[in-house]
Amino acid sequence: MLLARRNLFQDKTRLALSVGGVALAVMLILLLNGFLAGMNQQISSYLIYSPGSIIVAQRGVRNLLGATSLLPGGAEDKAEMVDGVTEAIPILSQFVILDLHGKKQPAYLIGYDPERGGGPWEIASGREPQTDREIILDRVLAKRHDLLIGDVFEVMGQDFTIVGLSEDTTSWMTSFFFIKKSAAEELLRAPGATSFLLVTLNEEAVLDDVQIRLNDLPGVNALTKTETAANDISLFAKVFSAPLKLMVGIAFLVGTLIVGMVIYAATIERQREYGVLRAIGASNRMFYQVVLTQAVFAALTGSLAGVLLTYGAAQWIMAARPQFLIALEPRSTGWALLGGLAMALAAAFFPARVVARLAPAEVFRK
Amino acid sequence: MMRLAFRNLFQNKARLVISVGGVSLALLLILSLDAIFSGVEQQITAYINYSGADIFVAQSSVRNMHMASSSLPVTLIEEVKVIPGVEAVTPILYLSNMVVIGDERNLAYILGLPEDALMGGAWQVSAGSAQPHPGEAIIDRNIAEKSNAGLGDEVEILGRKFKVAGLSEGTASLVNSVAFISLADFAALRGSADTISFLLIRVESGVDPTDVVEQIEEEVDGVTVQTREAFAAQESRVVKDMGTDVITIMNLVGFLIGLAVMALTVYTATLSRRKEFGVLKALGARNAHLYKAVLGQALFSVILGFGVGLGFSLLLSAVIPRLGLNLALVISWGSLLKVGSISMVIAGFSALLPIRQIAGLDPAMVFRGK
Repeated sequence: MLLARRNLFQDKTRLALSVGGVALAVMLILLLNGFLAGMNQQISSYLIYSPGSIIVAQRGVRNLLGATSLLPGGAEDKAEMVDGVTEAIPILSQFVILDLHGKKQPAYLIGYDPERGGGPWEIASGREPQTDREIILDRVLAKRHDLLIGDVFEVMGQDFTIVGLSEDTTSWMTSFFFIKKSAAEELLRAPGATSFLLVTLNEEAVLDDVQIRLNDLPGVNALTKTETAANDISLFAKVFSAPLKLMVGIAFLVGTLIVGMVIYAATIERQREYGVLRAIGASNRMFYQVVLTQAVFAALTGSLAGVLLTYGAAQWIMAARPQFLIALEPRSTGWALLGGLAMALAAAFFPARVVARLAPAEVFRK
Repeated sequence: MMRLAFRNLFQNKARLVISVGGVSLALLLILSLDAIFSGVEQQITAYINYSGADIFVAQSSVRNMHMASSSLPVTLIEEVKVIPGVEAVTPILYLSNMVVIGDERNLAYILGLPEDALMGGAWQVSAGSAQPHPGEAIIDRNIAEKSNAGLGDEVEILGRKFKVAGLSEGTASLVNSVAFISLADFAALRGSADTISFLLIRVESGVDPTDVVEQIEEEVDGVTVQTREAFAAQESRVVKDMGTDVITIMNLVGFLIGLAVMALTVYTATLSRRKEFGVLKALGARNAHLYKAVLGQALFSVILGFGVGLGFSLLLSAVIPRLGLNLALVISWGSLLKVGSISMVIAGFSALLPIRQIAGLDPAMVFRGK
């Protein structure tokens, strides 16, 4: 143990570089996972904060985001007549691409009735729209593009006046914005159209039973909010999982190489000393222990530093780019530390082989 | 001195492999992320590029298709048809929805095509028909194969069952695929036959599409008219603009990792040759010569790493599409230039530590065994 420690600490710069390298690799893995977890939270934000516990969509639609839904006429009245339903709030929603300062910004339009709900859950400043020419923008989006309350904002060729700024309605991919439902109908040239119903149940109602009854209505699909959120998350995870896995795999390999290189260099440098130890009877097991201890120490220290670095970097990224939410989960941190350990084991393999094959006579001849 | 750098580098093959491997992986990280976004850009514009249309007409301020919605009154078709230079007009309906095959749900552009559509249909069909009739759908072959579906099987689109009448090629991307149904079915499912989403226009031969664009803009209100090229450019900008921040952050992390690996390699290599550098100094070698050797070593490693990273990226871009992932990696010249520049910066910075080490090297101390 003493030998391993001395070997490792003999050159502090090298140790610092190796720990730094592993820390960066671990940080990359954690940041990528944090992005994904944050994105999942942001994706479900509307479903978490909007009223009701069941979402009624067009038959075949199981997502809020990603799929366009258009309910058959009269669905709202029929849903409200279902036993156990207190209220069915209609919204008309659609992804649109905004051109802001020459940049394309995907945004999710929600047309709602301010008197019934389904709009922003927290207004940072201003008020809800009262006319068909008023709009609530996300606060972060507005700040990024220097938009203020009272400014005129164009959506699909129609001018709107900004009357409010909403909180927690953004993500790096998209932002929510809110107008009156009647304004959305006009904008999308879909008079009387409804995309989704946000269904609130009475206190005695059993969720599953009401869902079954709602699903009996023609042309609709009723899902709990939890199911809808899970479907949205899995839809986006499907898109992002392949590139993400590729990036995480590369980061893991880089980390392993860094630890491997450091331990290898330290082992080669001490080859002569190892030869002497071998000549006086040291076993292979002891050499393996020395190499492995160095690798585990470098990798775990690097991983821990990586975890700390990630928390700092995440705060910095979120301050500089508020549209990003990096949600660092304890489970991911645990996996990153395990990843560091795996890096150490993989990295120790090559130097251990070098030591194992060491013949004392050869060393003395060099 | 360059020979010394070269020998220093190749003297320890294992270290060389590790350092080149590390740098190439860090550069691969940057290259592959760029390639993924470039690939998506290319895939996402495929429909527009192969539509056969010269001009796209959309609702006012709607300049692309992805994540967008456009509604035009159906009366616009006749208005546009009579504009000089217009040879043919195909109206299409469009929205994002799911193609459901068994338990598999795939996000798709759902396109409603009129009977005998001249434009906007599937451009390459590996089996069956390219024209969907009522009750029929043309879906992407990869999507169908993933769910073991084929011609004649049933799929669910917009909550209704359709019979697969054709399998199209090149219509799937990392993000989604394209599915075609008849305009009549689409309108019935939307519950409105009064609107269409886009108008696809072919101009007469010899006519410049930009002239027709101007003509339509002058004569028709409430529309955005663009040539196919302009429309495709707007479409790819959606991906580009969405990815800018992510790419910047990942590039920074990739750069730092590459820098750590490279700095570590050059540092350990210089450290192990400390004695030799001391001897050279004692023999009269100037610091500048030794710096050149260190820098040369860093440069060689980074160039090798760049080559290997590029090789890996090209290999990935060839292998990944064969895995049925609908993920295309496209390596652009811009990306190569960027990664090349990053490599040079890495080489320069990584040589700094060893240079300091050499500068402070006292030959007498080296001979004393320190």
